[in-house]
Amino acid sequence: MLKRLMVVVLVLTLLSNLLLGCSKKENSEKVLVIGFDRDAEIMDTIKTAWYSDALIYIHDRLITRDYEFGYKPGLAERWDVSEDGLTWTFHLRKGVKFHDGKEFTAEDVKWTIDTIKDPDTGSPFRADLDAIKEVNVIDKHTVEMVLNYPFPNLLYNLSGTAAGIHPANAYKKYGEDYGKKIVIGTGPYKLKEWVPGDRTVLVKNEEYNWGPEWMSNRGPALIDKIVLKIIPDENTRIMELEVGGIHILRNVPETFVEKLENNQDVTVYKEPATKLGYLAYATDKEPFTDVRVRRAINHALNREEIIQFVLKGIGEVAYGYLPPALKDEYLEESKDLAYEYNPEKAKQLLAEAGYPNGLELTLSADNSSKSTKLAEIIQHQLKEVGINTKIQLYDSAGYTDMLREGKQELFIREYSWSNADIIDWFLLSERFPYPNHSRWVDEKTDELITYAARRPTWEERAEAYKEVQRYLIDQAVWAPIYIPMQMIAVRKEVKNFKYHPWMLQYNDGFDIEVK
Amino acid sequence: MLKYIIKRIILMIPVIIIMTLIVFSIFYFAPGDPVSRIAGPNVTPEVYESIMKKYGLDQPFVVQYFRYIKSVVEGDLGVSILQDRPVIEMIRERLPVTLQIGLLGFIITFIIAIPAGVIAAVKKNTIVDYLCMSGSLLGIAIPTFWLGMLLLYVFAYKLRWFPISGYGTIKHLILPSFAIGLTNAAITARMVRSSMLEVLKQDYVRTARSKGLSEKTVVYRHALKNALIPIITLMGLRLGWIIGGSVALEIIFSIPGIGRLMVDAILARDYPVVQGAMIVLTSSIILANILADILYTVVDPRIRYG
Repeated sequence: MLKRLMVVVLVLTLLSNLLLGCSKKENSEKVLVIGFDRDAEIMDTIKTAWYSDALIYIHDRLITRDYEFGYKPGLAERWDVSEDGLTWTFHLRKGVKFHDGKEFTAEDVKWTIDTIKDPDTGSPFRADLDAIKEVNVIDKHTVEMVLNYPFPNLLYNLSGTAAGIHPANAYKKYGEDYGKKIVIGTGPYKLKEWVPGDRTVLVKNEEYNWGPEWMSNRGPALIDKIVLKIIPDENTRIMELEVGGIHILRNVPETFVEKLENNQDVTVYKEPATKLGYLAYATDKEPFTDVRVRRAINHALNREEIIQFVLKGIGEVAYGYLPPALKDEYLEESKDLAYEYNPEKAKQLLAEAGYPNGLELTLSADNSSKSTKLAEIIQHQLKEVGINTKIQLYDSAGYTDMLREGKQELFIREYSWSNADIIDWFLLSERFPYPNHSRWVDEKTDELITYAARRPTWEERAEAYKEVQRYLIDQAVWAPIYIPMQMIAVRKEVKNFKYHPWMLQYNDGFDIEVK
Repeated sequence: MLKYIIKRIILMIPVIIIMTLIVFSIFYFAPGDPVSRIAGPNVTPEVYESIMKKYGLDQPFVVQYFRYIKSVVEGDLGVSILQDRPVIEMIRERLPVTLQIGLLGFIITFIIAIPAGVIAAVKKNTIVDYLCMSGSLLGIAIPTFWLGMLLLYVFAYKLRWFPISGYGTIKHLILPSFAIGLTNAAITARMVRSSMLEVLKQDYVRTARSKGLSEKTVVYRHALKNALIPIITLMGLRLGWIIGGSVALEIIFSIPGIGRLMVDAILARDYPVVQGAMIVLTSSIILANILADILYTVVDPRIRYG
């Protein structure tokens, strides 16, 4: 009996400890909680392609992008490009300090770029910096990059998350823990704790006063702490937002928009995303070698209907190969050049190509519910013009593998990228067979793309990419379908929310109401 | 007894070897590899090749498998391809989380199943029995993940008694543990009932009654103790089921346990993590069964192993 009593007492003390432990109220600290569906594997911009959003705030970059998507100074106060476009000189901001107290200098820029470019590092970002021949330290606050060929896109590559500046010799100094327990940058937030698969906790950098000039708040952030919380289940994420367990949710699925819009506590921001959903085909295989078949497929798709059915009407029709959000490079006349919905014309083109009785093909997709729906409606629409398809679904790792091996006929893809160089990725013949999954090996395309990518100035480059798009539309290399919306749900406790097309700037005056 | 336990532990080795071979084959022959997850979906062929080489993924099946087994024998479960961390360290972080839920689930199972089973057996063919048994039938029919979603919706989302997601306090553990405990209790209660009915027919129960002992003493001191023997085996076997069931629950409740670790690793084809977790789980299920065997001898001194 005594023994039993002791067990009961023990259990009760344990329980009460745990319960009390959680009820301890934190002092009125301003905490912002953001929900994510999955976590990064490594907390290091250099070593992975799947960045945690935390890295946006831990690091600063040489170049930033303002709310209008323009390129503006970041850690580099200004930069000059030589007339031939081959030498870029960056003048660095003074008085900037890393989270470990070290002063930010030209050496740190050199180390970061050199480490990415070192083949032994195995950085997925390496190919993006192929244009850089060498990085030279001119003085403590000046750094020079010498290029192999003119490459205006360096602006883009140096402003992305992957280009976050690390302190020189970080790997040597912090060893194995770097990218796991420790990450050092100069950004407005410091890494406090990372529990993989569960949460990342960031605390504000009190010393921060080097915010880019386009920000209204260039000093320390107003929010003390940011928690990035991983919630894998979609329904659970939405419920957490509704009860206030998280304040901001990015990538709201179309199916939940109506529900959240009816919620007084939540605002949903919608902007056209830099994404593009398309139907592609193995252009080196019969019958897709014939441009008439490719055009017929383009004519067979009723894109408005697809957007209604798959995206609940939240999205825009895609006419070209780039999303309109890329203002400089987007081809305005895409709509007039593109192939309108016209099943009769599709049938006629198929007949001309020698398939009057239609075709039997497979249509591959990944097994997400969105792609499955998309595959079903495309199957239905293609059937209308006599193309019968069999749908084949893969899990995401299996899908890329299948494309790499070249087993595809018709297949569905969506890309997410905010630069015109995505065209190089997918359609240059040197990228065959992967990522050139539509197996498009074409001399003229290579010529046009290479010409565009190596223009000395950003403006000339943008013009040249328009020419690439005209040609791709004419050749019907893909069948572009939709541009989805970027949707961010924000709770009413968050004050001064400002939408940013690329990276939300939580340190730029964002505030939060503490209950 | 000791000899028996040692024999059982030695027998674990072939089981684990066969298991690793099966897991390894599935991973080797299934389409997909971890590279696209590390380097992004648009990886160039040269980066792809270099990563495949770095982790020895370009080697033939036999070479890869034996290299792995060799390192396991040396006590090294390898390094996660994606997280670049020792697998054992990742399991050490995640396993306790799952075990906490499992343990609490087990306790809930016993608290519900034993009284329910005993009452149903004693009041056989009465309304109480029917209520208990139809309740248990319902419990068996409802999948754990669905029960989890239902509990989450009602108690966390609508009533807001519990947090919706996360991990850290006992409040976070209660709903998932109940989801496991309730479904498990449903099956266990039926076992307890039939086992009790069996025992209540025995001579020694009649003797106890005729001695003039109260019905309560007869049922709880004499009958129940013997009726619990088959339940112990069942519990040992259910451990694997509990871990399997917690995979879905860990996703629904956003709990960073070993189930989610495995699901993420499978989707990303991070095979050292899956292998390592499988080895740890298989061993713990076998050990739980050995423990159940040992418990037998405690509950029933007549049982001896030799």
